[in-house]
Amino acid sequence: MKLEVVGKNILRIDALSKVTGRALYPEDFYMEGMVYGKTLRSKVPHAYIKVDTSRAEKIDGVIKIFTHKDVPNNKHGVVFKDHEVFCSEKVRRIGDPIAFVVAKDRKTCELALENILVEYEEIEGVFDPIEAMKDDAPKVHGDSNIVYHFKIRKGDVEEGFKNSHVIVENTYKTHMVDHAFLQPEAGLSFIDEEGRITVIVATQYPHYDREEIASALKIAEDKVRLINANIGGAFGGREDISLQIHLALAAHELKMPVKVVYSREESFLAHSKRHPLIMKYKTGADKDGKLLALEAEIIGDTGAYASWATNVLRKSGVHATGPYFIPNVKVDSYAVYTNNPYAGAMRGFGATQVPIAHEQQMDMLAEKLGMDPITIRLKNMFKKGSVTATGQVLTESVPLQECLERVVEKMDFPVGEKEAY
Amino acid sequence: MKKISLNVNGKDHILEVEEDMRLIDLLREKLGLTGVKEGCSEGECGACTVIMDGEVVNSCLVMAFQAEGSSILTIEGLGDEENIHPIQQAFIDVGAVQCGYCTPGMILAAKALLDKNPNPTEEEIREAISGNLCRCTGYNKIVQAIDRAKEVLR
Repeated sequence: MKLEVVGKNILRIDALSKVTGRALYPEDFYMEGMVYGKTLRSKVPHAYIKVDTSRAEKIDGVIKIFTHKDVPNNKHGVVFKDHEVFCSEKVRRIGDPIAFVVAKDRKTCELALENILVEYEEIEGVFDPIEAMKDDAPKVHGDSNIVYHFKIRKGDVEEGFKNSHVIVENTYKTHMVDHAFLQPEAGLSFIDEEGRITVIVATQYPHYDREEIASALKIAEDKVRLINANIGGAFGGREDISLQIHLALAAHELKMPVKVVYSREESFLAHSKRHPLIMKYKTGADKDGKLLALEAEIIGDTGAYASWATNVLRKSGVHATGPYFIPNVKVDSYAVYTNNPYAGAMRGFGATQVPIAHEQQMDMLAEKLGMDPITIRLKNMFKKGSVTATGQVLTESVPLQECLERVVEKMDFPVGEKEAY
Repeated sequence: MKKISLNVNGKDHILEVEEDMRLIDLLREKLGLTGVKEGCSEGECGACTVIMDGEVVNSCLVMAFQAEGSSILTIEGLGDEENIHPIQQAFIDVGAVQCGYCTPGMILAAKALLDKNPNPTEEEIREAISGNLCRCTGYNKIVQAIDRAKEVLR
């Protein structure tokens, strides 16, 4: 068989438009009669709110100020419907959307935002996920902050630790990360010639966005049209709704084209972050460096909203052993609500954080055993036919050993010699 | 309002601008040159890079009235589909384009470098694009593209 694509260098079809500056991103669209929108966002992390838009509505050039009262179905979210299009009674994080001003130009939008009165009745917040798991912690939604609990039980960890010659126990923490895609969120919405609400946006999920817009506006999905323009980076940060519903609602109600362009600051406030994890690890090995048991508790701070937390913390749990065969495994991973910025998808989806823990454990086990860090890994790593902690049999290519051996060769790493320890 | 005259991509313009208007707004909103991108609005990311009288500037940090009498080059003035510039072609051929949002600024930073220094070292190329962020992390391909363009232009 002659391959036409695999193994060949193929030119990107969008490269020419991008190098000539003709590629259009959402903020590059302009329409006749276009007006602008801007979002009012919470300045505090946890409070009951009362909103008075009357003064702002009187400003010359303000067309309409939308609040929760204008949204047919105020709930949305990619997995759980825990976001509100506009906060109705309570804000749960700094940056929560409260109102959306539409005005003739951007300066008028800003003036109107300054004239919306928000009365915040602040309530105690929770910012540490371990505190948030306690029964008496302030609740972000409903009556528990625990969104998700994923478990792995394989073999008998107690027995595994009893037979271990060395045990290493540590707690690791990773921090929140913003995607900082280079093109801040922007969009343009209008009613097309067939009467459909059309939203031009840069998104990772046009089909989800369409469904969420239709659901919020209580209209049929085929009355909503999503146009995915060029996307200036995403990295997981465009997997949730930001401005899509605000724009669609405004164009639908006002029957005029409405445009929004976020500043970099607003972009930071609007989209998800990488989950910060707290990872409590206990790993045991025998005299020869063979892993016998792993016990891990992984707590993910998903902030004020769940977003993709279930999928992310499941993945952290599945990858908790690292690429190593361990006969006895007990993993508990949790996603927990707090009043921090909300966390969702970001490159690696929960698999990026756990190596901080499992690899450091390997180095410390090796140190205790007087073994070098390469040897202990070669003794335990997955090969073709290995069974993972979740029972998956790795039947396809697993070239990890070959990779590590080549790295050792290129580095001239003194495996087994004293200086390598 | 203030009246200014300037040359953009080889064309003379006389424009009425607001006192608080930035050069990026003039280029995008008054002249429709949307190849000028806005990433941070504070001179960190370089997406809004244009060449002003031979020097790279962040057009978000230049006020429109400061461009009075100047000559500006944006990505639209460098080359188009029919008449592509060797730097643009090299970015396509090497695979230096991903999301594309940093691309116009990167190409203009490269152009300003090669105009002054036709045979830069890799270190000089990296320094020349040090004011331009690529969040897709495609820096190596971008450096290779500029290096290839240098060979074509010589």
